Amino acid sequence: MGEIVTFEWMLWGLMVFLNGGLLVLLLYRRNHRVFPSFFVYVLLNFLQCFILFASYKIWGFSSPASERMAWGTQFFVTIARALAVAQICHRVLAKYRGIWALAKRLLVATAVVVLLCSWAISEGSLHFAVLNANRGMELTIASVILFFFLFVRYYGIAVDPAVRTLAVGLFLYSCFYVLNITILEGRLHDYARLWNVCGTLAFVASLLIWNWALWERQPQTTFEPEMLSDDIYRTVAPEINERLKALNEHLSHFLYVERKRS
Amino acid sequence: MSLIFYSFFGLIGLFLILFAWSVRTPSRPAPLSARAGAGDECGRRHMTYLPQIRQAFADVDFDFLSKKASREVLRRVRRERRGVALAYLAALREDFQALLGMAQAIATLSPELAAIHEFARLRLTAKFLWQCEMIRWKLLAGIAPVPQLHGLSDLLSGLSVRIEAALKELGERAAVAGELASSMNRRGLNVG
Repeated sequence: MGEIVTFEWMLWGLMVFLNGGLLVLLLYRRNHRVFPSFFVYVLLNFLQCFILFASYKIWGFSSPASERMAWGTQFFVTIARALAVAQICHRVLAKYRGIWALAKRLLVATAVVVLLCSWAISEGSLHFAVLNANRGMELTIASVILFFFLFVRYYGIAVDPAVRTLAVGLFLYSCFYVLNITILEGRLHDYARLWNVCGTLAFVASLLIWNWALWERQPQTTFEPEMLSDDIYRTVAPEINERLKALNEHLSHFLYVERKRS
Repeated sequence: MSLIFYSFFGLIGLFLILFAWSVRTPSRPAPLSARAGAGDECGRRHMTYLPQIRQAFADVDFDFLSKKASREVLRRVRRERRGVALAYLAALREDFQALLGMAQAIATLSPELAAIHEFARLRLTAKFLWQCEMIRWKLLAGIAPVPQLHGLSDLLSGLSVRIEAALKELGERAAVAGELASSMNRRGLNVG
């Protein structure tokens, strides 16, 4: 335990305090019913702090047993994070049935492709296997959040400020995690201690963002739009696409005439 | 440092830029009914000015001027024609955006979407915006001569009966949705 310096202790204390505060806030405002997966994620994070504290106390900070404990618990935390992100996507898009069906397929495909790619291009030593797996997961989470927001923007769907802020916290933390592991992989010995501090600092920043997002009570149900009849889309969508294509062809002609003249 | 090291940094940089763009609140999105009606309005408005736009681009006028008028006048005419071309390009873009807005509003409220139509529209949008920007920059830089207009009337003609019917239903649903949203707001609920 002596290997951990005072600053790291303080940072850890602050992290536990904010994590606990967020749990209390979720329960007090009854937002745990609105975001159950996010609540589970925060709870697991909180429990992980105590499990790690106990393992450092028993086996020491740099012992292989503590390392195994840290990565073992991290697996469950990362899965809970992924579920929290899935729930955020569901909350915003599920009320638009057609959009949600399309988005679900697209987001799952994105997740699979990014996960496979990030594992394929990672440097393949066994030593880095756990780090690479974590980086792959975090990159996947970041990509899914990014695609979700691109999707939402493309279709002009409104997102609650609280949901948006939660997603911002999750996205920024995932991005930072990927960078942190990438630096660690490149310069393992110089960066090992700083890696821990940077990771904790990023998580503290995310906790602050989430506390701010969930300060107010969120409505359990959201506005349900009334859907159009089935055949409207089937008949109108191809026709609009044809018109868009005609406008495109006209523009191509515009460009072609310019080329011919110049 | 390996290539993978830099590629992860590049990728995250790109992610952050795209995320910052996608997460910012758009300037007050128009209600569905307004989005739906926009396409019709645009088509008719641009249609009104069709003869003037055609006249502005007529080759005969320019040929006549090049024989009779001074260089200064020719330069001025070319500049003004370029202005008309830019305005026309902006109008085409407006038409495109209106149609796109309508398509997106219909897609949003449809119980089932066809991926093929959605991806086709995305591809057409990307192509249109790219071409539009290229022409605009070429016109602004003065490296492109002012083009002729062909087939404009086909493009700016009114919307078809099927689209009109869809707009009507969309407008009715949007009105119902508006009423529902305002009643939920009155009850202190935050509507999505």
